[in-house]
Amino acid sequence: MLNHMEFDLQCTDIVRKFDDFTAVDHVSFAIKKGSFFSILGPSGCGKTTLLRMLAGFDNPTSGEIIIKGKSMNGVAPNKRPVNMVFQHLALFPNMNVSENIAYGLHRQGINKVEIKHRVEQVLARVNLAGSGNKQITQLSGGQKQRIAIARCLVLNPDVLLLDEPLGALDLKLREHMKVELKQLQQEFETTFVYITHDQSEALVMSDQVAVMNHGQFQQVGDPQQLYYQPDNAFVAGFVGDSNKWSASVIDILPDSLKVKTTTGLILSVSKVDNKSLIIGSEVDIFIRPEAVHISQQVTANLQDNHLNIKINNILFDGANSQLLVEEQNSGEEIKVKLPQTAEFMHLQKGDKLQISFPFQQVKTFPKELEVS
Amino acid sequence: MKTIGTANARTPIKLGLLLLLCPILLWLFLLVILPQLTMLNISLQERVAPRIYEYGFSNFIAFFTEPLYWNTFLRTAIMSIIATILTLIIAFPISYYIAKMLRGRAKGLLFVLCLIPFWVSELVRTYGWMILLRESGVISTFLQYIGLVDGPIEFLYTDATIMLGLVYSSMLFMVVPLTSTLDSLDDSYIEAGYDLGGNGFSVFWHIVVPHAKPAIVSGCIVVFMLTLGNYLTPILLGGKSSLWFTEQIFTQFITRFNWQQGSAFGVLLLSISSLIVWLGLKLSRQSFSKVMS
Repeated sequence: MLNHMEFDLQCTDIVRKFDDFTAVDHVSFAIKKGSFFSILGPSGCGKTTLLRMLAGFDNPTSGEIIIKGKSMNGVAPNKRPVNMVFQHLALFPNMNVSENIAYGLHRQGINKVEIKHRVEQVLARVNLAGSGNKQITQLSGGQKQRIAIARCLVLNPDVLLLDEPLGALDLKLREHMKVELKQLQQEFETTFVYITHDQSEALVMSDQVAVMNHGQFQQVGDPQQLYYQPDNAFVAGFVGDSNKWSASVIDILPDSLKVKTTTGLILSVSKVDNKSLIIGSEVDIFIRPEAVHISQQVTANLQDNHLNIKINNILFDGANSQLLVEEQNSGEEIKVKLPQTAEFMHLQKGDKLQISFPFQQVKTFPKELEVS
Repeated sequence: MKTIGTANARTPIKLGLLLLLCPILLWLFLLVILPQLTMLNISLQERVAPRIYEYGFSNFIAFFTEPLYWNTFLRTAIMSIIATILTLIIAFPISYYIAKMLRGRAKGLLFVLCLIPFWVSELVRTYGWMILLRESGVISTFLQYIGLVDGPIEFLYTDATIMLGLVYSSMLFMVVPLTSTLDSLDDSYIEAGYDLGGNGFSVFWHIVVPHAKPAIVSGCIVVFMLTLGNYLTPILLGGKSSLWFTEQIFTQFITRFNWQQGSAFGVLLLSISSLIVWLGLKLSRQSFSKVMS
């Protein structure tokens, strides 16, 4: 059982059914010791149910959860080597900061001197030294966040579970806390399991991300993999920003496909590993706004997709600015990233330009039958 | 009270506000303050000759020198405290179950079931208990029928029966504040308590009880006051041996027509119950305004 040592948390074939609804559907994964693992999915995808099963508040209908090589089936939440940071943190309002952190230590029967020492130590590590006597209501959002994490980490759990704890914070603080959480995780070297519906949180912080939908893991990989090599249409659409079109195959070439979108736009797209694809097959194609090159002159590369477009709208958002453009023949609307360089500063609504993108950048997936 | 006074001093009192407050002020003055002041006045009068009264403390001195009076009083106070504690012990699990364990319709249904008995007047409810508990009552007859006992048993006219009646008639006043307060306790606090290694007892003691404390204290105050001032239940269920203090007051006023003595008892009852409530607030480190809000 050597491989058990590498992994802090393993799940095999977890199923959780509520009456006839399957919230978690045959999920298996293993999380390496000391890594930051995120479960990313839209609300209602079963990620909270999965997390609650890891914490012990819910039990799987079938399957096994193994933490540090020990099966957790039938183990109560207070006996598991995991701790959880709740969505609304659940800091006890009747206790001050030190008492909140000391709560778990008292339950372990540690003596008072040792508890005081460890509370001070953990407060210093989350940069809140000297705040022990403050009431919870006196803390700012970010400070509460850090106390909630400190309250768990002081117990040295094998795995720390985080249930969208950044959801209630404003944007600026959330951006800041993302970096801070990642730093805390590296400093404490604890395995973090983080669930979120915010892809940016998952991508920025995680070593591994699992994308979840309809109770199943769609893909597990590092953030780059999810972004550049999505396994299926759901991941391609959910992670990052994409232009998504429905199209049908009109020609199969040795290394690419020719497809025609519903509005009649003909594009060269990457080939899929799917033997069943024939001419006439329905596919979904995805192209990221930042993969599209815009230029004012025609550049010659026959393999690329070259489109003549007109600018419909300029969505200015600093570094994330986009152009909404319309292909001249089909009228298909395309989102394109607008580089904030001098070359494109003067662009205006109605301007005509050339856009191009290599076929490899266009991801193709056979049409899924599911209704979402 | 102080803050209201200073606020009034700063802003001129508006006529509209005064008119709106009129009914409650009249009610307070005419039905609470005025009778109490009159009672205090009567209690301080002692009869020196027929129809001639002088101010003096003899009515109060009589209370302390006559063992029957203060024994009855002590007994009433202690029984009331025990009844309050029993009510709390019984009501807490019920409230917790309604507020935290049940969901949706069952929750409302059970809450209403707690309420329904109070649609019937206290007198009728107490007679209900008498039908059950008397010598020829339901329970006694049933026990004879199944052969557990040979002769009829009298369950009425014991301290235990009084206690039963008192707890029963106070239950609602404990269940209502407790249920609404426990309902407002987010489940994640309880889960966090378990998650951090707490067991059932520590979660209850360190998380649930501190949250419910204001409701516990306010429920206890209401139940204690109602029990201490209860007349029907002890008289009907306890009979002649009930020795309840309100019965003494009744006797003085109605049977012996000694209004002076009765008033003195009334004033004593009010002051001692206020003292006990104050002590309870001090011991639980709660403030009256926080508990009652």
